[in-house]
Amino acid sequence: MEPRAANAKSRFSLGLRAAAAVLGGTAILACGATNPPVQFNREIRPVLADTCFPCHGFDAGKRKADLRLDTLEGATAIHKGRQAVKGGDLEGSELWRRISSTDPKTAMPPPEAKRRLKPAEIGLLRQWIESGAAYQKHWSFEPPVRPELPAVNKSGWARNEVDDFILAALESKGLEPSPEAPAEALARRVTLDLTGLPPTPREVEAYLADPGPRAYERLVDRLLESPRYGEQMARYWLDVARYGDTHGMHIDNERAIWAYRDWVVSAFNGNLPFDQFTTWQLAGDLLPKPSREQFVASGFNRCNLSTSEGGAIDEEFQVRYAVDRVATTSTTWLGLTMGCAACHDHKFDPVSQKEFYQMCAIFNNISENAMDGNALLPPPSLALPSPEQQKQSEELAARAAELQKALDQTVAGLAYTDPASLTNVPKPAAKEIVWVEDDFPPGADVTVSGGNEPNKWVTKAEGPVFSGERAIERAGKGVHQVFFSKCASPLAIGGGDKLFAYVYLDAKDPPRAIMLQYHTDEWRNRANWGDADAIPFGAKGTTEKVQIGELPETGKWVRLEVSAARLGLRAGSKVTGVAFTQFDGKAYWDKAGLVSVNDPAQDPDRSLAAWEKQERESAEASTGPQEIKDLLKKAPAKLEAEDRRKLRAYYLASVYADPQSPVAPLRAQTKLIKEKREALEKEIPSTMISRELDKPRPTWVRIRGQYDKHGELVGPGVPAILPPLPAGEATNRLALARWLTDPKHPLTARVTVNRFWQQFFGIGIVKTSEDFGARGEWPSHPELLDWLAGEFIRSGWDVKHTVRRLVTSAAYRQDSRVSPKLWALDPENRLLARGPRYRLDAEELRDYALCVSGLLDLKMGGRGVRPYQPPGIWEAVGYTTSNTAKYSQDHGEALYRRSLYIFWKRTAPPPSLTTLDAPTREQCWARRERTDTPLQALVMMNDPQYFEAARQLGYRMWHEGGADDASRLAYGFKLATARPPGPQESAVLMETLAAQRARYGADAQAARKLVAVGESPVPTDLPAAELAAYAVVGNLLLNLDEVVTKN
Amino acid sequence: MQPLLPFLEHQTRRAFFKSTGLAAGRIAFASLAFPELFREAQAQTRTRAHAGLPGLPHFAPKARRLIYLFMNGAPSQIDLWDYKPKLGELYDADLPDSIRNGQRLTTMTSGQKRFPIAPSIYRFAQHGQCGAMVSELLPHTAQVVDELAVIRTVYTEAINHDPASTFILTGNQVPGKPSIGAWLSYGLGSEAEDLPAFVVMTPRWSAKRDAQALYQRLWGAGFLPSRHQGVALRSSGDPVLYLNNPPGMDAASRRSMLDGLAKLNQASFERSGDPETQTRIAQYEMAFRMQTSIPGLADISAEPKSVLELYGPEVTQPGTFAASALLARRLVERGVRVVQILHREWDHHTDLPRDLPLQCRDVDQACKGLILDLKQRGLLEDTLVVWGGEFGRTVYCQGELRHDNYGRDHHPRCYTMWMAGGGIRGGTVFGETDDFSYNIVRDPVHIRDLNATILNQMGIDHNRLTYNFLGLDQKLTGTEAPATPVKAILA
Repeated sequence: MEPRAANAKSRFSLGLRAAAAVLGGTAILACGATNPPVQFNREIRPVLADTCFPCHGFDAGKRKADLRLDTLEGATAIHKGRQAVKGGDLEGSELWRRISSTDPKTAMPPPEAKRRLKPAEIGLLRQWIESGAAYQKHWSFEPPVRPELPAVNKSGWARNEVDDFILAALESKGLEPSPEAPAEALARRVTLDLTGLPPTPREVEAYLADPGPRAYERLVDRLLESPRYGEQMARYWLDVARYGDTHGMHIDNERAIWAYRDWVVSAFNGNLPFDQFTTWQLAGDLLPKPSREQFVASGFNRCNLSTSEGGAIDEEFQVRYAVDRVATTSTTWLGLTMGCAACHDHKFDPVSQKEFYQMCAIFNNISENAMDGNALLPPPSLALPSPEQQKQSEELAARAAELQKALDQTVAGLAYTDPASLTNVPKPAAKEIVWVEDDFPPGADVTVSGGNEPNKWVTKAEGPVFSGERAIERAGKGVHQVFFSKCASPLAIGGGDKLFAYVYLDAKDPPRAIMLQYHTDEWRNRANWGDADAIPFGAKGTTEKVQIGELPETGKWVRLEVSAARLGLRAGSKVTGVAFTQFDGKAYWDKAGLVSVNDPAQDPDRSLAAWEKQERESAEASTGPQEIKDLLKKAPAKLEAEDRRKLRAYYLASVYADPQSPVAPLRAQTKLIKEKREALEKEIPSTMISRELDKPRPTWVRIRGQYDKHGELVGPGVPAILPPLPAGEATNRLALARWLTDPKHPLTARVTVNRFWQQFFGIGIVKTSEDFGARGEWPSHPELLDWLAGEFIRSGWDVKHTVRRLVTSAAYRQDSRVSPKLWALDPENRLLARGPRYRLDAEELRDYALCVSGLLDLKMGGRGVRPYQPPGIWEAVGYTTSNTAKYSQDHGEALYRRSLYIFWKRTAPPPSLTTLDAPTREQCWARRERTDTPLQALVMMNDPQYFEAARQLGYRMWHEGGADDASRLAYGFKLATARPPGPQESAVLMETLAAQRARYGADAQAARKLVAVGESPVPTDLPAAELAAYAVVGNLLLNLDEVVTKN
Repeated sequence: MQPLLPFLEHQTRRAFFKSTGLAAGRIAFASLAFPELFREAQAQTRTRAHAGLPGLPHFAPKARRLIYLFMNGAPSQIDLWDYKPKLGELYDADLPDSIRNGQRLTTMTSGQKRFPIAPSIYRFAQHGQCGAMVSELLPHTAQVVDELAVIRTVYTEAINHDPASTFILTGNQVPGKPSIGAWLSYGLGSEAEDLPAFVVMTPRWSAKRDAQALYQRLWGAGFLPSRHQGVALRSSGDPVLYLNNPPGMDAASRRSMLDGLAKLNQASFERSGDPETQTRIAQYEMAFRMQTSIPGLADISAEPKSVLELYGPEVTQPGTFAASALLARRLVERGVRVVQILHREWDHHTDLPRDLPLQCRDVDQACKGLILDLKQRGLLEDTLVVWGGEFGRTVYCQGELRHDNYGRDHHPRCYTMWMAGGGIRGGTVFGETDDFSYNIVRDPVHIRDLNATILNQMGIDHNRLTYNFLGLDQKLTGTEAPATPVKAILA
C-alpha cells in the first residue's frame, strides 16, 4: 500500500509515480480479478514516459543516441544491427537487454538518472515485449468510441448508465456498492453540489414528505432551475478562466470585467450549450454581428494577468499574454500542458515548440496594448447600458444633434467681423499692472504651506532681488508654496492680457517644477514649468494645469509670462490671488502682475485670428475636436477656403465669447447636455472584451521562450497529433473554437465531463484533470469517460443534462460511510464503492455560514464586494499609488453577498478564502487542493464573518427554535446539518451551552463584547449573556465536521 | 490530504485509545485526565502532520533553518558592496559603449540621450580579518563581515520588479510557482511545535517614496498544497490572521467549545469512518495551542538588555526591521524552518543619497545583531542567513546627475548579495565585476545557482526536490537551464 498512498498526494518521485500508475492499473483497479493483458497505453506508456521519454521521446533537442521510444517506428528502427523493441522477442530487444542489465556501462536508465525502474515495472515491460510489444496512440488522442454498456451481476442497483460502468468495475474487484445515503444527507449533498448552499429545514422536510418514486429527481430538477445553480457552476469555471478584479501584476489596479463573471453565471443558468459557451468565450467577437453577450463572453481571453510596470517592454508582454492564452485554452479544453512547449518541444506529449507558437499566432491578434495603463478598462472594452440608460443616452444624443444643427445654422447666419481685421481702430497701449512688489497687495490673506515658514523676504544684501527692495525666498522639499487670495484689489482681466512674474532659480538647488496659480472664485487656472507630474494640482491638458515649458535657466532672473486666455481666464474675469508654487529646491520670486492690453484684436475670446495664434502656439493639446486640431497644425497659408469656413464655424460655435451673441444660449444648452451625457457615461458599466486586429501581428517561435530571441516566423495552426482545423475558414479564434467543439474532437468533451465528474465526486475519472497527456493519470474508468463524453456531445453539449445524469446516478446517491477495510483498499474513493465525502470549498463554507445564520444576501452580479478582512492585508503588499493599496470595507448587505462576488485582488486575495485552498487566480486552475490545517480552524472559529454568522445562528436558535434549550439546540443543529441531533449529540450541546452560560452570566461585559462582533444589529430581546452562550454554540455548530464536509 | 496520513493517524489514535482503555469518544476527557498521554498521542500526529518527504534531506544538511532578508526594490550594489575606486575620476563621463554593449535598458532610461557615470559618493573601507570593502552606509554589517560570504556577481534576466522578485523567490518570472519557503516546508517539513514551518514579515521602511509592491505569491505555495504557503506574522492586530478569539471570548470558553466540538466530531467519525475527521480534530487542537504559543513568541519582555542592544534602538518598536529580525531569531529558535523578512522600497531611481542611507539605517544594525545573536546561541552554524534584492542598479545616472544627488536605474547583469551561517565560509568575497560594476568578469552566479546553493545548504539536491505539476517535474531552480551550488563560498 505504501507507494500507492504516497502517489495519491505527493508525487515527488518519478519512480513512485510510475509504480503508482502501474499499480493503479493492477492493484486497485484490478485487485481480485485475473490480470488483463498488458495494454500499452495503460501500463507501458506511463513507465516509458517517466523513465525513457526524457531522453528518448518527442523532444528532438534532448534525444540521446538518436533513439525514439514513443513511436513504434522509433522503437523498432534498426540501430547498429539491433532494435530497441522487437515484439515477441525478448532477447532480440535491446531495451530488454539494457533494463535488465546490471552492468553500469550498459544499464538503462543510466546510474546517474534519478529515474529508476521498479522490479514490477521491469516485469510489465517484459510481459509487453513477450506479448508482441503493441503500440497505441496515446489514449486521449484517439477519438472516443461509444462503448457498450458492461454486463453486471447485481440487478436493480443501477439507476442510469453511469452505474453500469461503476458497478462493473466494483464487481470485477469483488466489491459491493454502498446502500443509498439517508434522505437528509442526500438532500444536503445534492443541494450543496448544485447550488453551493445547504438546504433549509423546510426544503429537507418537503423532500422527506414527498412519497413519490421520483422525489429525488424532482428535487434535482428544482435545484437545476435555481439561479444559485449558475453561481455554483460559475465558481468552478472562474478558476479555469483565471478571473480576477485586478490586473494581477505590479501596481495591481482594479480592472472592470465582472460583467464577464456575471455572464458565466447566466450562461449556466440558461443552460447555454457547451459548444456555444466555448465559442462565445474564445471568439464571441468574431461571430457574425456579435450580440452584447457574445462580446462580454469574449472577456475570457482578457482575464490574464497584465502589467504596465515602468520600464517593461511591450514585446515581452505581448508574447507573455499570448503564451498565457494558449496555456489556459489548452488546459481548459484540451487537458494538455501545452505551456511546456513555450521554451522547447514538449518532453512527454507530441507538441512541438513550433506548434505551440502556431497556437500563439491564433491568440496574438487581440487588439489590446501590451501595457494596460493600469486602467480600469484597458481597451478593447464594451459599454453595457441598461435599457433605461440606453434610452436616456439616445435621447441625449438626439438632443445634442438638434442643438448642433441649430448652432450650425446660427453660426452660418452670424455676421462676425474679427476685431483683428479692423485696420482703422487705434491700438490701445499695453500697460503693466504690478500687483506684488516688496509686499503682497492690501487685503491679501497670505498663507504658506510646506518649505520654509513663515514666508521669507530677502533684501539685496541677503539674496537676489529683481526690482524694488526685496524678493520672496522659498526653499523646501516636495510641494511648497506661498499664496494669497481674497485680495481687495483684484486684477481685472481684459482681452489679450498677459500675466507675469519674475523668478530666480537657485543653481545649486533648483526646484523640480514651478507653478503660478491664479485664484478667481476657486484655484482653477495654473501654469507649470518643469516636471509636469511633480506638483499634483490640476488635471493635465486642461486649463487647470497648463504645461508652459521646461524650467527656466537657473542662476538668473527670468520673466515668466503667459497669456491669461491660455489659462482659461477670459476677459471680465477677476483674479483675486496668486500662488508661487515649487516642488523641491530653492527659488526667489519678485515683481508679479498683469500686462493689460484690453485689446479685442488680441483677445482670443473675441478675435478668431488671436485665438488661432494662441492655439498654434500652445504646447499642450487644444481641447477642440481632432479635425480642428489638424487644421490648426496646417500652415495658415495652406488653409483652403473650406478649412477657413470650418475654423470660423467652430470658433463661433464653441469659443467666441460674446454674451450678446445668439450662439450663447445654444452653447449653454449644449454644455448642459454634454454634462448629462458624461454623467450618464460614468454610470454605465463597461467590461473588457476581445477584438481582433485588422492586420495580424507577426508571430515567431521564441527560442528558449525568450521574447527577444526570434526563431521561425509561423502562421496560425494546431498540433498535428490532433485533427486538422476546419478547412476553408480564416484560421482565427473562431476557427479554433469550431475545431474544439467539433463532435469528432477527441479531447474537449472528455476533458469537460471529467471536470464535471471531479466537481461532484471529488476526483476526476482522470485525476489529473489538467493533464490528459502522457504524464497525466490513466482514467480510472476509461469506458465511462468515453461514454459520458459521447453522450455529452450527442445531447447537444447539454450541461444540465449531463449534470443531472451524474447526480441522479446510484453511484452518487450512495452512503459515504467507509469501513477500515474499504478505506485501506481505496482511500481516495476512486472506485466509488461509497458516496463522496470531503471538505467543502472555501466559498461554500463562507456561504454556508451566511446561509444558515440567515444573513445571506442573494443579490446577484455587479462590481466585486469587499466584506470583512483583517486590516493591513492590501497595505502590506500594495504599491503605494495603487487604487487597491488600501482596503476599504463595504457595509450593509455587501458584507453578506455570496463569496462568488467578493472583489478579487490577485496579489493579495482574500485570506479567509485562500487559507481554505482557493487559488490566487493568477493562472488557469483546473483542480483545487483540499488540505486540513490549523490556520483553517482559526478562520472558521475567529473570522468576524464566521463569528457574526455564529451569533446570528445562536439568535435564530433562541428566537425561532422553541421555548426550551433542548428544542432550540435541536433546531440549530438541524439548521446546520439538515438532520435532527441524536440524544448524545443533544447532551453535548446542552453541556456546552451550560458551560458558556455560566461563563458569560458571570461576566456581562465579556458577553456584550462577544455579541457585538459583526456589523449586523445586535438583538436586544434577550440578555447579552444568553445570546453570547448561544453564539458560542453556533460557533461550535458551524465548525462541525459534518457541517464543513460534503457528506 | 494525503490519504495515507489520516489513515495512519487514525490507526495511531485508535491504538492509543484502545491501550489506555478509553472509549474513543472521550478525547476531551483524555486531554484533561491524562495530559501527558494525550500530548504524546498528539505529538505523534503532529510530527506526521509536519513531516517532510521521505528521503529528505538528501544528504547531511549544513543548515536546518533559513532566514531570508529580502530587500525589495533592489539596493545599489555600487553604493554598498561593489567598490569601484576608478569611477571617481569618471564623474559625468559617458558610460563606454564597449561596457554597455547594447544591453537591454528599461524604458525609464532607454530614452536618455546619454548615460553619465555617477560614482558612489560614499566612502568604502576595509573591514574584518578578510579585509572586505564595505560602504560607510553599513557600519554595523561591516563589523560582522568575517561571518559573511559576499557574492558580487549575482545576476538575473528580469529587469522589472514584478517579474524579478517573482523570479528570485519562486524560480520563475511567471506567477504560479511555489516560493523558496514553500519548497522547504514541503520538502523538509517543520520542526516547530505549534508554529507554521514558514513565516513571513513585512516591516515598515524609511525611504521617502512610494514603495514598490509585494505580491503574496512571493511567499505563496504555487501548485504545492496550500499549507506550505508562508504565514504572515503581523505587527499589529492578530499576530497570525484570525489567531485571537473574538473579543470577549477567553481561553476557557474556547476550550469548552472545542471540547464539545471534539466530542461531536468524534461521533461524526464513528458514523462516517472517515479518517479525515480525525485529522480535523487534531488540527483544531493544534490551532488552540497556537493561540497561546504565538502571542508568547511576540512577547520580548524577557529578552535581556544586552540582546536587545545588539539589534539597535528600534528593536522594541513592533513593525520595524529590527523588531522583525529579533522575532526571526525567536522563530528559528522554536524550530520554524524558514523566516523571510521582506523590507520594501530600495528602488532609488532618483534621490538615492536621500533615501539609501535611510534604508540602510533600517536594516544595518539589525543584520549585525541577528548574526551575533544567532552566533552567541550556537544557532548560526546551522542557520543560513541570506541578504539581497531582486537585481542591481546601474552605474550611470538616471535623470540629472549632480555631485550630491543622483539616481540609478535597474541593472540585472550583476549585483551583490550575501550569505552567512549554515555552512557558509565567512569572510569570503566572491566574484568580480568590471570597473563599472556593469558586467561580470569572473564567477557569475545566476539566481538559479543562488537558489541551488540555498537548497544545498539545507541538505537538498535541487535537481531532486521536484513536484509533478502539469505533467512536468517542477523544481525551484526551473527546468530550463542547469543550476549549480556555489561551492567556493562553502566552508
